[in-house]
Formats: sequence, C-alpha cells, structure tokens
Amino acid sequence: MKVLRIVPEKCTGCMRCELACSYMQAGSFQPSKSVIRVSPLEANTSFSPYTCTQCDEGWCMTACPVEAITISPAGAKIVLEDQCVGCKLCTIACPYGTIFYNPESHKAVKCNLCHGEPACADACPTAAIEYVEVETADWLGDFAALRAQTDLVGLGAGR
Amino acid sequence: MASKRHIIVGGGTAGLNAITTIREIDHGASEIVLVSAERPYSRMVLPYYLARDITESHVYTANPSRLAQLKVTPQLGRRAASLDTQAQQLTLDNGTVTEYDDLLIATGSSAVRAPVSGADSAGVHSFWTLDQARAVLSGITAGTQVVMVGAGFIAFTILNSILKLGAKLSIVEIAPQILPRMIDRTGAEIVEGWLQRHGVEVRTGAHLQAIEDVSGRKRLRFQESGELEADLVIMATGIRTNLDWLAGAGIEVNRGVVVDDHLRSSVPNVYAAGDVAEGRDFVTGERAVHAIEPTAMEHGRIVGANMAGQPLAYRGSLLMNIVDVADLEIASFGAWDRATAEVSSAVKPDQPAYRKLLWQGDRLIGAIILGVSTAIWTTNDVGMLKGLVQSGSGLGPWKEYLRRNPFDIKKAFLASRTTAQLLPQKILARPSIPSGRVSA
Repeated sequence: MKVLRIVPEKCTGCMRCELACSYMQAGSFQPSKSVIRVSPLEANTSFSPYTCTQCDEGWCMTACPVEAITISPAGAKIVLEDQCVGCKLCTIACPYGTIFYNPESHKAVKCNLCHGEPACADACPTAAIEYVEVETADWLGDFAALRAQTDLVGLGAGR
Repeated sequence: MASKRHIIVGGGTAGLNAITTIREIDHGASEIVLVSAERPYSRMVLPYYLARDITESHVYTANPSRLAQLKVTPQLGRRAASLDTQAQQLTLDNGTVTEYDDLLIATGSSAVRAPVSGADSAGVHSFWTLDQARAVLSGITAGTQVVMVGAGFIAFTILNSILKLGAKLSIVEIAPQILPRMIDRTGAEIVEGWLQRHGVEVRTGAHLQAIEDVSGRKRLRFQESGELEADLVIMATGIRTNLDWLAGAGIEVNRGVVVDDHLRSSVPNVYAAGDVAEGRDFVTGERAVHAIEPTAMEHGRIVGANMAGQPLAYRGSLLMNIVDVADLEIASFGAWDRATAEVSSAVKPDQPAYRKLLWQGDRLIGAIILGVSTAIWTTNDVGMLKGLVQSGSGLGPWKEYLRRNPFDIKKAFLASRTTAQLLPQKILARPSIPSGRVSA
C-alpha cells in the first residue's frame, strides 16, 4: 500500500504540513490540531515530521472496545467518530504515540491519509513527505540519532 | 474428518476476540459454542452509557446477527456449572452437557463489596455489569448525593459520568491514597487536589464500618469520626475472578488459571484468557493476573490463533491503565510501582503535571504520566512512553537525557530508534477484521 515516506534530511521546518493537516483534519490552520507533528532538533536547525506509520499490527484498532477504528479503502486505520466514545484505550495501546485524544470533541484522532490524498505530502515544498508505494519504516531514527547529539552534550552519558 | 468443536465460556472481550480470530483463520470451518451469562457487551464503555453519551445499543459488541455471521451457536443467559476435562464435557447450569475438542475459560471477574453491615442493602450498588450500570443510571439525577466507596481504577472510570449528571460526589478510600494500584503517592496527591478543586470530597484512610438506612437515605459510619449521608452508594471495592465453577476440574489455579506461553492451562486443550488468566507479565517475566481490557483483547487473539490450529506464543501482557477525571489524564505502565527500580521523576510547579520513569539499567520498565488533556504533550507522550516500555531496548545515552528531561519524551523516542524496534513487534501482525468485513 501507499504510505507516507518521510525524508527528514529534506525538511526545512516550514510547518506547511502541519497547517495543511490541521485544515484537513479540523478545518482550521492550527498546528496543535495536526496529526503530523514536526520535531525540532539541534536547537531548531533540523526538523523531522512524524506521524502514524499505519503499522501492520494496528495496535490502536485492535485495542478499541467498540470497533470504532477500521481500515479505509486507502489502507489507513481510521477513527469512526460516531462510534468512538473517547475511552483513550487506543492512545495507550499505540506504542508510537500517533493517535491522540481531542479534549474538545472527546474523540480519538489520528492520520487517515486524507482518504488517499494526503494534504501534508501535497503541501510539502521539498518532498520531505511523499505518498508512495513502499514498506513502512522508521524514517526518522537515523536522522534524529545524528542530529540530536547536541542534546546529549554535557550529560556525562558518554558516547 | 469431523470439524473441530470449540467452546468459549464467557462473552466478554477475551471470548469475543478469540471467536473473531478463529473465524479470521478458519472462515467458519469449525463449530463454536459460546456460553455467556449475558449478551456480549463492552464493559469499557459502560461509563459513557452512564453519562448518557451513548445509548444502550452502542454497548453491545455482538448482536444475534453478528453471532450468526460468525457461525457461533450461542448459549446466552447460561452459566458454566462444571467442567470434566477427562471426558471433555462442559455442563451448563440447566444441565446441558456439551462435548468439546478444546475450550476457553474466559469467565472474567465480578465486583465484590466491602464486608460491612448494610453493604447489600437497597441503594448500595456495584458498577461492573450492564445490569448494575442500569441500576446506577436510574438512581442518579442532578443533585443526587453519591458516595463512592473505593477509589481504584473502576471507580475513577465513572467519576466524570457522575459529575456530568450533576450529582454531588464524595469518594472514600481505605488506603492512605486514591488509585493505590495505579499511581504512587505523589501522583495521587496531585489528583486529590484536582478533584477537590472540582468539587469532589475525598477521604483517604477511611475505614467504613456500616451503611445504615436513615429516613430513606443512606448514612455511612466510619471507624474515624465524621459520618456521610448519601442518596446512592457505589461500592467499587474490588473484583474477584469467576473460577468457582472450575472446582474439581483438575486445572491448576493460583490467583487465576495458570497458563503457559500459549495460554494453555495445566490441561493442554483448555485455555484461559483475560481477567481469569494468570499469565506472563511482559515486563517482569513473572506470572500475574492483569484484569485490564488490553490484556483480555491480546489474550483472546492469541488463544483464537492457537485454537484455530496456528500455534502462537505470547510475549506476555503489559500492564497499562489510563483514566481521566475532569480533563486530568492519569496513566501508568509496566512496573510503575517496582520498589527496587531506579527512579527519575519531575512535577511541574505551575500546573498538575507529573512524570515518573522507572529504570532497570538503561531500559525503561515502567512509567506514570499525569497531566491535563489540553496540554498537547500529555496525549502525545502517553503512547511514546508505552512504546519505550514495550520496545524493551536499552536507551543508552538517552536514559540520562530522559532522567533530566522527563517532559521531553519524543526526542529520546526518535533518536533511540524506538520505531525501528517496535515495527517488527507483533501479536498477530495484522489487526482484527472489522465486523462488516468478516467473511465467515
């Protein structure tokens, strides 16, 4: 299936993905409502967008006690708002931290791949986010491990 | 060859997940009898039913047509009376005897009340089954004075509902703190303060002595001074596993039915799952009863695969709980109360926010997280903390970073390549198929 491939080396931190995502997901240009979230590294000189990998196991989906999470035609695990009661079990079952609780709607919210046309990938001016047929992976680990080294300086933790 | 005969005893989360998993694998080739005292429903959503957020129909997990679609022969309203593991026969409470090739014990647990006089009188309720939820619902309106006896997880799941209905609420707990089996003292004190700010009276270390009837209301007396009056009393004083019917079955029972890594009991063609099973704790490796929804779900899926002829070992269940009260989120994972663990923790001075991380070497083995749900990093970090515990991998230099920055989980999560550790970790390597698309 097509997934979001993140190439953090290309991310400039412009946050257009968050704006596009929040507009699609919540109808407002408000990064706090986005389900793709850009992490600043190296004192805001490197960035890495992070969102649901649409993992095979579907931890959120199997955890749901009322089958309020299902698989869309695009292959995304999606929350059915009218079924979700807001119990948050999915938010502790997902080990990636990519399904959220919206305290205003009292529902779970996560990446639904915009029904096959992800707004984040469209909005990204540098192709740091691509929607492509590829096996999902840890897109950010190596980049973050390298770029976050400055945060370890002075901790005496060695390396 | 005759088709395999499965019996599932218990229609809760564990039992239904076993059934759907069997059908996802065998597409209806076997016989499945479901014995369930109640029509299957989700206990997890009863608080939302109590709050009148959802109707009763939303509570049910399998209606008759769903069971028919799954090719299940239901024995609803029936209880298992006894099990003969030699003859491979289950006897129901109406005397019906059914033979099986394999059987799942998923009879769950029941609410127990504190042994005080008046505990069983009218106006004193448990909140565990759907029937009990209905009774509580019909007894609460705006202004009702409710006393909750017990301040554990089950009690906390319905605090929001009671407040939303406009009731006045007092909570009494025998332990020195609230949520004694979910968070530590520091966390509990923050939650107690939050509850009091939201108009809830909290009494800890309160030893209930008797519940008396006084002119149509209830009066609660304590060993300590200070009585409480109430229109309605909820006893959330614990649960016990439903194992009585297994007496004489020759199955090893400790705190629950002792199961191996395939969730088989001491009798190999009898499995146990959910609240009644005592299986491996993922973090400690020790045997434990985890009476929580995620364990029931995972147990059920593992057993379903094994019953359907796909041998599958289970890595063990990860203890986890989350509850919110008046938009304060409270969650804990794994070995959050391990006294021998190395601990790092921090509170925020300006808002109710607390993090506690428990370490074994450079591995995170448990965590407590507490914060308002409007703080975006609260819900963000809940999942990542679970991931750090679940990955089980050493965090190297990022341990020291987290020790000093417990409110900045994500950077350590990403840079320690936790996603790469987690992606190969699977239960069934696929989600369960939603009910609309089961092809059985």
